[in-house]
Amino acid sequence: MHLFKGTFDVLILKTLSWGPAHGYAISRWIGQMSQDDLTIEEGALYPALRRLEAKGWLAAKWKTTETGREARVYSLTDDGRRALRRELAAWQKYVAAFTRVLEAKPQEALS
Amino acid sequence: MSDHSRDDDSLPLSGGRPVDDDVRGELEFHMQQRIADLMARGISREQAAAQARASFGDRAAVEAKCRDIETRRRSTKQRADRLGALWQDLRIGARVLAKSPGFAISAILTLALGIGANAAVFSLVNGVILQPLPYQYADRLVTVYERHDKGGFANVPVANFLDLEADAKSFDGLATYGNGTTTVIVNGKAARVHVGMVTSGFFNVFPVKPVLGRLPTPDEYRKGAAPVAVVSYSFWRDHLGAPSVLDTVHVTLARATPVVGVLPNGFEFPDGNEIWGPMRLELESMSRTSHNYDVIGRMRAGIAVADAQRDLDGIFARLKPLHQPDFDAAGAQITPLQEQLTGSLKTPLYLLLAASAVLLLGACVNLASAMLARGTARSAEFAVRTALGATRTRLVTQLVTESALLALLGCASGLALAAMLLKMLAYFAPAALHVERVHVDGWVQGFALVVAAITAVFFGLLPALRLADGESFLALREGSRGTASAARMRAWNILVGAEVALAVVLLSGSALLIRSFANVMETRMGFDPSNVYTVDIELPTANYSDTASVPAFHERLLERLRNSPGVQFAGLANVLPLGGNFPSGGMIVEGKPLDARGPFTGYAVYRAIGGDFFAAMGIPIVKGRALRGGDENPTAPGVVVNEEYAKQEWPDQDPIGKRVKPSGMDRAADHEPWYTVVGVAGNVRGQTVTGPFRETYYFDYRTRPSYRTQYSRYVVKSSLPFTAIAPLIRREIAAIDRAVPADIKTMNDRVTQSVADRRFTMLVLGAFAAVALLLAVVGIYAVVSYAVAQRTREIGVRLALGATAGQVRGLVLASAFKAVVPGLAAGAVLAIGAAQALRSLLYGVTPLDTAALAASIGLLGFAAVVSSLLPALRATRVDPLLAMRAE
Repeated sequence: MHLFKGTFDVLILKTLSWGPAHGYAISRWIGQMSQDDLTIEEGALYPALRRLEAKGWLAAKWKTTETGREARVYSLTDDGRRALRRELAAWQKYVAAFTRVLEAKPQEALS
Repeated sequence: MSDHSRDDDSLPLSGGRPVDDDVRGELEFHMQQRIADLMARGISREQAAAQARASFGDRAAVEAKCRDIETRRRSTKQRADRLGALWQDLRIGARVLAKSPGFAISAILTLALGIGANAAVFSLVNGVILQPLPYQYADRLVTVYERHDKGGFANVPVANFLDLEADAKSFDGLATYGNGTTTVIVNGKAARVHVGMVTSGFFNVFPVKPVLGRLPTPDEYRKGAAPVAVVSYSFWRDHLGAPSVLDTVHVTLARATPVVGVLPNGFEFPDGNEIWGPMRLELESMSRTSHNYDVIGRMRAGIAVADAQRDLDGIFARLKPLHQPDFDAAGAQITPLQEQLTGSLKTPLYLLLAASAVLLLGACVNLASAMLARGTARSAEFAVRTALGATRTRLVTQLVTESALLALLGCASGLALAAMLLKMLAYFAPAALHVERVHVDGWVQGFALVVAAITAVFFGLLPALRLADGESFLALREGSRGTASAARMRAWNILVGAEVALAVVLLSGSALLIRSFANVMETRMGFDPSNVYTVDIELPTANYSDTASVPAFHERLLERLRNSPGVQFAGLANVLPLGGNFPSGGMIVEGKPLDARGPFTGYAVYRAIGGDFFAAMGIPIVKGRALRGGDENPTAPGVVVNEEYAKQEWPDQDPIGKRVKPSGMDRAADHEPWYTVVGVAGNVRGQTVTGPFRETYYFDYRTRPSYRTQYSRYVVKSSLPFTAIAPLIRREIAAIDRAVPADIKTMNDRVTQSVADRRFTMLVLGAFAAVALLLAVVGIYAVVSYAVAQRTREIGVRLALGATAGQVRGLVLASAFKAVVPGLAAGAVLAIGAAQALRSLLYGVTPLDTAALAASIGLLGFAAVVSSLLPALRATRVDPLLAMRAE
């Protein structure tokens, strides 16, 4: 299943709402949670992260992980948190409307 | 102070990873983690690596994209940070200034004065000298005069002009033009307008396109052609009623003249001109020594003034042998038009610009010392900041930002002040400055900004460097009455000394100008302007064209004026003293050999007069008598010469009864009668108050038909006030002819007008000097107050030990003079140097005028005493006990 345009950012923001994480962790989390139903090229994550950082929604810092390697760790900024709330609300509204249309049955012929 | 620790979680800008490392490192980490995870599931390293690569996608493309985004993010952030820091500094600066509004306001006012004075003067320099004239190809426009053997210049005679026009190779256009004020009749109403009679080259020199109608055709410039006129845009709008078709529009000059074209708005060469028409060449004298009109030319592109000069000189050299003796030119004198128009204003304007710069320097000194004084109050603050880790650069930046903020505010208020000053200047600036056309434009704003920036560095950076230096650490230790403050006191004394020196320079400079002005005003002008009114009258040519009607009008008006109550004398002349160029020409003195240059024995200024001219002007008749009825007899006319004339021509003889005649005035000398000298009049100043006396002769205006002038200046001596005499004169004129307009002034106004340049320079420089004095007083007051505050304890001890109040006052004054006396000495030296620049503006005083210098030094010394008096009094009131306990 391919991802709808623009929804990837929401997934990243949502993932980071649980706490700071490096790119690989984000990629793994999204893969696990979607049970690999969402086919995302792993590489596509990184430009997205950089874009969000440039927007000021994410902040990044190099940190040493438990394995002793240095990783670029992202965290949600206040602006990012607000953006996530906004995007989620919009997404839910969209899905609800979409669902309503899909599930509705006409009382009579449409034309 | 917490403002300075920036809360920032993002990667540091410097010392962080370079973009390449940052991006590659992040992606590499991903790959390694993925491979490790896969291997943990038991896949071989090679297979794991291949799989990781496959699931990642195009790594190179991702890397490039990330690098791109990151690079852009970093540069954006860097800009934002810089702006942020500046904004923060500005905020702190504004807060600091708001905390001491007294300092802030006085600093801004001081700057506004300095910058305002500079911006106003620069506006004048810019508008008058730097900006090109509002004509197309303005840089190629030149005036042409004839150079004469004896030195001096004269207008180019029409006959010579026609030869120049035909043969000159370095010009796109050459034109001669005569202009003056004339009464014209438009729509039945008489109006006084500026009219220019021009030759066919005029509209080549100024390639204007008429907005309506056309320019005169080449045929209309030929001899005997019917006259036509083109008018200025404003004349078309205001006098003609802006008709869209010109077919039936006429103005009446000598006769009804059809208006064929309207020139574009703003074109009014030479000076506010309203009507132009082809010069009637058939009416012009073709004598090559009648120097009547101005010549203007437009040089071809790429031609230098020297080239054009050589070109015309060649033509004159060729003409000379052909036309001797009726030829007196030695060559051409070519001057760029702009220089011709503004040349005499250059020196005073640059002088004032220099003076305003000196004033600004004084303002800077005051500000710098105020900053130093504030340093005392703020050194503790800066010491704490330094201790908390603020770098020196950061502190200096902060201080300079504060200064810059002050400078910007000062600049804005200075520009507002400059605009006001220019409005005020319009009331007393000489007309040639055209102050009404000068504005605070983009150039001036730019200039003010540059000045403000220099100022900010001068009064902000230097104290900032001092303050941010190690000195501030001392402040942490209580008291700080140590060496640092002594050093600061010394620095301050030097600053105030400099300020005093600058004030001496400006004061002595303006003292020189004031003395010159007084000398000018006291100069014996040779006539008595008090209670004399002048009336410019021009009879409309249309109604006064025959030889009888003009003198008939004048004689009737003179008679009526003479018989009016309150009028002592009434007379008229073609030109009044101080009234512009005097006509002059060749003269023959009976019995003298003719000059080699022409059919004359010398040159003289002539005036055609009527009525009781000498009595009305208060010009004494020192020998013989004034002109009287019968002297106008065209076959045996009488003439009055001035003392200079008598002295030059008949040094040891009685001039009365001698005979002279003009040569080539309107006709050859052979046809002139001999004029018998009947009297000698006192010398009178000519064109300017300060000019030399010139040989002059006066004849009755009725003697020569061509001097039955329509245009005459009346002089009326009367004890009546202006408000009574002006309506009386108008009434008398209207009783003869209602259609004759008159322009009435007092003779004193004319005198004032003729010294307007001088008065303007003197007043502006004087104002600058006054401000400089004020700044010095404030500076001295501040430094002495500070010194007293520093020495409160010492003074207390002295008082306790029995010093008298007088001794304490002496102590304070002595400390004031420690700063002032070296300043006065330096100022005296500088003033003597600066006075050399004034040389050309002085009259009757030498640049080394000790009285002016002594007066300004005395004034400043006095001001120094006065301004240190208050702190001195405060010092004597120190309570010894309190003073000693305070420390």
